[in-house]
Amino acid sequence: MKAIPADRSFIVWVGAALALVALMALPLGWLAWVSVSSAAGPTLAHYLAVFTEPRLQKALWNTVVMALWVGLAAIAIGAPLAWLTARTDIPGKRVIRGLVLASFVTPPFLGAFAWVMLAGPNAGFLNKAWRAVTGFEDPLVNIFSMPGLIFVVAIYTFPYVYVMIANTLELIASDLEEAAAILGGSRAWVAVTITLPMVAPAILSGFILAVLQALALFGSPAILAMPAGFHTITTQIWSFFQYPPKVELAAAFSIPLLLATALLLQFQKMLLGRRGYAAVAGKSGQRRTIPLGAWKYPALAGALLVMACAIFLPYSVLAKAAFVRAWAQPLTWDNITVANWSFTFFEYSATQSAVLNTLELGVMTATVGAVLAALLAYIANRKIIAGHQVLGFLALAPVVIPGVVLAVGLFIAYTRPPFVLYGTLWIMFVAYVTKEMPIGYSQSDTTFKGIHPELEEAARGLGAGRLRVLREITGPLARAGVIATWCFIFIGVIRELSASIILFTPATKVMSVVIFDLKEEGQFGAISVLGLFMLAMTFATVVLVQAVLGRDFMGARD
Amino acid sequence: MPRRRFVTLAVVFGCVALLASTASAQDARLEAAKKEGKVVWYTSLALPSAEKVAKLFEQAHPGVKVEVHRTGSQRVLQRLMQELGANIRNADVVHTSDAGHFVLLKEKKLLMKYTPAGVDRFPAGFKDRDGYHYGLRATVSVIAYNSKAVSAAEAPKTWKDLLDPRWKGKLVTAHPGYSGIIATHVLALANLYGWDHLKQLAQNRLMLVQSAADPPGVVASGERPVAVNGAEYTFYKTKKKGNPLEIVYPKEGVPLIVSPSAITAFAPHPTSAKLFTDFTFSREVQQVLADSEGLYTGHPEVTYPTDKPKLSELRLLTVEAEELEKRNEEIKKRFVEFFGA
Amino acid sequence: MPGVTITDLTKRYGDVAAVESLSLQVAPGELVALLGPSGCGKTTTLRLVAGFLTPEAGEIWVGDRRLSSATAVVPPERRQMAMIFQSYALWPHMTVARNVAYGLRFKKDLSRADRNRRVTKILSVVQLGGYEHRYPGELSGGQQQRVAVARALVIEPQTLLLDEPLSNLDANLREEMRFEIRRLHEAFGITTLYVTHDQAEAMVISDRIAVLQKGRVVQVGTAEDLFQKPRTRFVAEFIGRTNVIDAVAAGPDSVTRGSLRLRVASADLKPGASVTVSIRPHQIALASGSPTIAAGEPNVFRGTIERASYLGDAVDYEVKVEGGDAVFRVSAPPTLRLQPGESVVLSVAAAACVPLTESD
Repeated sequence: MKAIPADRSFIVWVGAALALVALMALPLGWLAWVSVSSAAGPTLAHYLAVFTEPRLQKALWNTVVMALWVGLAAIAIGAPLAWLTARTDIPGKRVIRGLVLASFVTPPFLGAFAWVMLAGPNAGFLNKAWRAVTGFEDPLVNIFSMPGLIFVVAIYTFPYVYVMIANTLELIASDLEEAAAILGGSRAWVAVTITLPMVAPAILSGFILAVLQALALFGSPAILAMPAGFHTITTQIWSFFQYPPKVELAAAFSIPLLLATALLLQFQKMLLGRRGYAAVAGKSGQRRTIPLGAWKYPALAGALLVMACAIFLPYSVLAKAAFVRAWAQPLTWDNITVANWSFTFFEYSATQSAVLNTLELGVMTATVGAVLAALLAYIANRKIIAGHQVLGFLALAPVVIPGVVLAVGLFIAYTRPPFVLYGTLWIMFVAYVTKEMPIGYSQSDTTFKGIHPELEEAARGLGAGRLRVLREITGPLARAGVIATWCFIFIGVIRELSASIILFTPATKVMSVVIFDLKEEGQFGAISVLGLFMLAMTFATVVLVQAVLGRDFMGARD
Repeated sequence: MPRRRFVTLAVVFGCVALLASTASAQDARLEAAKKEGKVVWYTSLALPSAEKVAKLFEQAHPGVKVEVHRTGSQRVLQRLMQELGANIRNADVVHTSDAGHFVLLKEKKLLMKYTPAGVDRFPAGFKDRDGYHYGLRATVSVIAYNSKAVSAAEAPKTWKDLLDPRWKGKLVTAHPGYSGIIATHVLALANLYGWDHLKQLAQNRLMLVQSAADPPGVVASGERPVAVNGAEYTFYKTKKKGNPLEIVYPKEGVPLIVSPSAITAFAPHPTSAKLFTDFTFSREVQQVLADSEGLYTGHPEVTYPTDKPKLSELRLLTVEAEELEKRNEEIKKRFVEFFGA
Repeated sequence: MPGVTITDLTKRYGDVAAVESLSLQVAPGELVALLGPSGCGKTTTLRLVAGFLTPEAGEIWVGDRRLSSATAVVPPERRQMAMIFQSYALWPHMTVARNVAYGLRFKKDLSRADRNRRVTKILSVVQLGGYEHRYPGELSGGQQQRVAVARALVIEPQTLLLDEPLSNLDANLREEMRFEIRRLHEAFGITTLYVTHDQAEAMVISDRIAVLQKGRVVQVGTAEDLFQKPRTRFVAEFIGRTNVIDAVAAGPDSVTRGSLRLRVASADLKPGASVTVSIRPHQIALASGSPTIAAGEPNVFRGTIERASYLGDAVDYEVKVEGGDAVFRVSAPPTLRLQPGESVVLSVAAAACVPLTESD
């Protein structure tokens, strides 16, 4: 469909496109400007400081080390798990997929916090149990360490790897493996010579995704690294905002992070571009599963161990801490209380307004974001305006910007005239919409790819204008997909921390910030209560998505 | 009428009139405050204590709410300044444990000159000579240990004891970058023993937490058996709850932290702010702070629990507010340099 | 070279039987086509033979080895078979040479030089000499297909299985490849099972055709057997086009339908029994005009043309027979161009009227 300039719907399209440019170009532009500006004019002094001051160098180094190891760990967990559920006869596949999903939606900072209670070197439950059983003095694990941080981040990042690899394994035509089998290849030989090379791009791609996630995290390093005495880039940027603020340093630190992320994503795109490997499925029906034989139950045990680390143990300890007076004391009748709940929701004055803010922002962002994403995906898919390819690119571009960096840019852009949004919920709204646009757009993109243009062309041929077609034909067909988009964005907003922690003010706190504040005070009970509440909200939304889409949550997203 | 009787009546009349006028003045203020609706309190007082004070005020002044925004002293200042930078005027009353902040705020003309009722009898250390801020509470920074993990004999007795390598991996400290109490503590000890003391202490691989109210939880849970600093009132409260925690008041001296409170010059709810300030400095509330929160106060009529030392019994290390303000950056920088984050 | 014997093979999915008590014998070196519409169970049968599926009942023997039964299935890698898939299943990350050589790796006593030699040889046999270092992505559909064939033949399997290998090619190439595959079969002589839904393809390629319907074999025979002597209506209609007339037996060798009387290719009909007769369109002679016909003369009738479609090499007529409801499709040479409405005379030999002996 070629654009017809005289069509009044054209304006709608252009407006949407401009909004995108404004959301992203402005903060990034300011960020770049501030990073080189000083009272005496443009300067590279900030960048110099970032790369030469030993403390900052250490933060850079720590971040690189952490991200790389997280990537490797995520693959070590995610790839075998994906292979087990996609190719073997391991029992309980649905349960495993469900648990991977649960790990996906658990905010990593909640997991980090729960692991403090599990593996703090002295008071952590696992260490206490270890000491009781073995009599050793030293703890089994010290979660306040780089390996501890890597571990916690990895168990909440591996789902990205899992989804990438599981989906690719599904896409590989089964007859490619059958052809090898019938020519004489044993199952192991086929897996190594045929399946593995074809899945290699997905593995690498998953690695990159996991690294990207790790780079951008704020909550987990703040909870686990800072007590151990080391910083990552994100926590360092955050600490630059302490009074008196050094925003220029924050900006100068943000730009390298941004560039690294952009490079990694570009590399990942190149890998996935070699589509030839993911051949569309051949004719054959059911795929043969590989029988695990004696390995069946050990494999299941391994999968459940991973899930214990990501879900069972942390959630249990959160539940326990929410209901007891002193979290480290054993679960006895006189330790149980609902005081934490009444304190959190009724006595602690920040909670109610934070919950309201979160809900308000969640609904606003999800609604506006879903509509915007749908509009953009529609324009791009139907090629309605010239330069539509750029739209898709721009909509996905924010994935390149770590939350902290985006927040710094927005902070700089919107704490000065003409638009002073700082101190209102609007600045956080802008941050959230920008940050969640990529996920919204890719879901909408999938939705519209599934609606054949001929359905609309038929209506237009009969005389309906473009907007009418959108309302009466496309809209109803796209509804389920749009609702799913809404839910994805909503979930993303309620757990967002790294941008919120920079942009909030006492009057505009959100739940994740309140949890973080409580952490700084050591209020374990209240944190657990709020954490459970946040998880309940998240899972309720997940259930809604699955009901609406009628299919697996993760099968729907790439 | 006999003259004496006339004079008595006049005096009585006068007193009644005075009382009535004060009462009606009081009523007028309450009405105005109710119109304002709330007072916004930026405070670093430990969360349970802060919420308690807020509830007491709301009960005594129905119709006026207290919006508590509690975070560490350094963060309170950060947020206040950040908001001002964006022209946001949200805070009515500011109360932190970093006396240096108030030097800064006064300099920048961000405080309102207001003297709460009855505060003239407070000791000099609790009063700003220009009348902009007054010490709402005081505490000292102390050592504390878990009595189940450490016996009284083994426990550290002095600041210097903490440098002993046998405490490696067993210590926790709060952070001057978050807490005014800890900033004061660090400066006090640096003045006492020099920065080397801190540097050596860091060799013992301390666990870092943020708030001065956090170490009690860490010690009570057994995560780290000894805290090298922390707000005495929070340790005291934790111990009173039945946790196995003991407090040590080192003989070399304990840093004294007086936490000022002030009304902002731009307060959006000035009448409520004044009512609130008067309330918090009143004997009743100051007594509550002493009784249930374990704090020291400047109020001369307040009595303190018998199971903790009086301020007069302790050797106090004091730090000048101006020095605290001037050297704030240095304190944080040095700390991070030694401890890593 | 062993043959393949399938006995009573049954494969169920839930309550539905994809293959039901299917039996088939493939002689050594024979190429048998499994022909039928989609859903008839031909692919399932092939996959059972390949060892990808386990049967609920029945057995599959290759030579004197029992390869599949309800209790034990020899895995595909040890059945010494090769399979060519509809999508060719070439591995995109390997060159043509490595694709073709894959199966040779599992032959114990072949040196690398031997392997290379065999690969080169087979590639020239399929006329892809010189393509060793190309990747599948660089080849056309027809070339990919030939690589798949080469890969299967190079290991000299005991059994060759083909699953609609020509479906993805365009019509011209398909025709060409039919003959190519037949040629290769005659050169190598491997026992082969060939699945297809295209009856022309089956007729060209195979030695015998097994027609499948709803999971069973309904008739096995040469192309000529199936064409000339279909046993059921389904087979008659599936192989080539046909006219099907439901009639009643009037005598041991004739049937009637209304006023229509037909002598049929049989001598033992039971009078009164219902008989279905199949007559191939090209075996009906057509002449224009409307002469008088002696009443009762069998296999000669008058009719009117209802539709005439010119097909180039023939004309396809629909003729309504006088005095009844029968409508015949007649295929006549293009020399005669008749129009709808014209009267014609149809006549057909008794041998061409085949009574269908089994019901569907």
